[in-house]
Amino acid sequence: MSIVTTSALKKVYTVGETTINAVDGLDLAIEKGEFLSIMGPSGSGKTTLLHLLGCLDVPTSGTVSIDGKETGELKPTALAAIRREKIGFIFQEFNLLPVLSAVENVELPLRYQKVKPAERRRRALEALAKVGLSERANNKPGQLSGGESQRVAIARALVTEPALVLADEPTGELDTTNTVRIMDLLRELNEQLDLTVAIVTHDPMVAERTRRIISIRDGKIESDKAA
Amino acid sequence: MTFILRNMWRRKARTFLTIFGIVVGIFALTVLGGMTARMNQQINGMKGFITDKITVQPATAGSHMGMDIGGGKFLELSKKAEIEKVPGVKGASGMIMVQLKAAEGMSQPQLMIGYQPVAGTSMFNNAKLSSGRELKPGDAGKVLLGSTLATDLGAKVGQPVTLLGKQFEVVGIMDTTMGVTDSWAFVPYQDTLGIFLAQNPYFKAEGLTQQITVFPKPGVNIETLSSKIQSSVAGIKTTSPKQAEKMISNITTIFSAIILGIAFIALFVGGLSVINTMIMSVSERRREIGLKKAIGATTGTILREYLGEALMIGLVAGACGMLLGLLAIAGLNRATHANNVVIFTVTATVIIGPVVFATILAGLAGLFPALRAARLNPVDALKEE
Repeated sequence: MSIVTTSALKKVYTVGETTINAVDGLDLAIEKGEFLSIMGPSGSGKTTLLHLLGCLDVPTSGTVSIDGKETGELKPTALAAIRREKIGFIFQEFNLLPVLSAVENVELPLRYQKVKPAERRRRALEALAKVGLSERANNKPGQLSGGESQRVAIARALVTEPALVLADEPTGELDTTNTVRIMDLLRELNEQLDLTVAIVTHDPMVAERTRRIISIRDGKIESDKAA
Repeated sequence: MTFILRNMWRRKARTFLTIFGIVVGIFALTVLGGMTARMNQQINGMKGFITDKITVQPATAGSHMGMDIGGGKFLELSKKAEIEKVPGVKGASGMIMVQLKAAEGMSQPQLMIGYQPVAGTSMFNNAKLSSGRELKPGDAGKVLLGSTLATDLGAKVGQPVTLLGKQFEVVGIMDTTMGVTDSWAFVPYQDTLGIFLAQNPYFKAEGLTQQITVFPKPGVNIETLSSKIQSSVAGIKTTSPKQAEKMISNITTIFSAIILGIAFIALFVGGLSVINTMIMSVSERRREIGLKKAIGATTGTILREYLGEALMIGLVAGACGMLLGLLAIAGLNRATHANNVVIFTVTATVIIGPVVFATILAGLAGLFPALRAARLNPVDALKEE
């Protein structure tokens, strides 16, 4: 069964008198356990697509279904619930909260799921172990390197065991060595945990490490092939 | 909770300044609150003294319910007999006052009040005595002491005390009322008159009185009786209990207005600074809010986090301001203690009021920024640099 399907998905922005079709009638299906990349130049609509898939934004028309659930008619609170339960996000800038330690950052989604503190801590430490950062659990983000910060962010994305992990340029702020490490880690997690991962990137080196590459231009799918 | 405190700590300087702004207001509110509580206490202490009787003063006297006694207006004592003839009057008492010791600073003056006890009535609305009894008709050379004055004099019932060179036998000591009467000595009218005339040799009147206190017969409507006396005796002005109550409430209203004024200043200064801090805090943390929403925080969750921060600022500031205020009150009361003066009273309202006020104030001020934060669109918030 598909984790995500979109049908005639469209997102139109109006800036002054010009309208931009950021996503333009897009049909897409992502299966469980896939490891794919969405590629395209800047302005191609790939980030908008990621936001629509992640229920961060609502489409102008068309539909998105997550885990069999149509999201079009849902209220903001229900969309927040889907993000909380079904989706893990990884961002380019890591977006860790500076006042919280690594393990507390990883706990954050569980906190919003109202998981009990002891259970929360146990699962967060487990997730940190999966990304190989157990010994940095009590460090604040300011004390972590870029690669370590992104690994904490990955732990935060997978701690809720989401149906889908969405990553927006996850290696954009990293050097080549760390880019390779992060991609290897994501692939490992995909294989070991059967985690579904979709990565938005403009970096071919990132894309070729995934198993499926969807190229987007002007809001439409240009090509969709196995890597 | 940990979030809130850590976020506040992260911006120590700003949090401190915001809190400090509120602390100043709350400090003022606490200290003035303590002063008002004390004033109200003194005024209420007088209430029992006037609410079951009619006060008669010269027609030309100001309307200060006898608080301007000694203001130089006198009635002839013959008016007392005239008043006693009005149907419904049980009895009346002339009153003359001399000063034992002038007021020092904020202290109450020590006064000697001479009055004519009326059989079967209590001049003090049956206020509790800590020992002894009230004065009764026929007493001479006896004194009933207010609690503070009794302590000052080291007086005990049955023992003699010397007041203005004249010896009196203490027949009673009143309970502490915290009112002005605590530093007063009550003696028979004739005893005071002698002292008064010796001090003021130019007065030739044999019987004069600064005010006359009228007791109604049981079952007589005191308000009606007051107007009846007013219309049947010339040259006087009566103050019924109801009128006296009204004057008292006018005075307490003034103090309450002052407190309200201070509260409003605190509201403006503190409220604006909380709004400012919270708006800053929200705009700095837009990305953070975006992230929280992306990983599943609802509008309500974000609202609670930011509102919690504002409330915490208010609570901390309120508690600090209140504690500083209490410290100041304790210090000032200690400084004036030697003169037997209490300027401030600490009541539950004085303690809890400012803290609750500061918390609610900060919460209201934080509501708008918190709502703004909560309603942020996650996509826009995440784009923020």
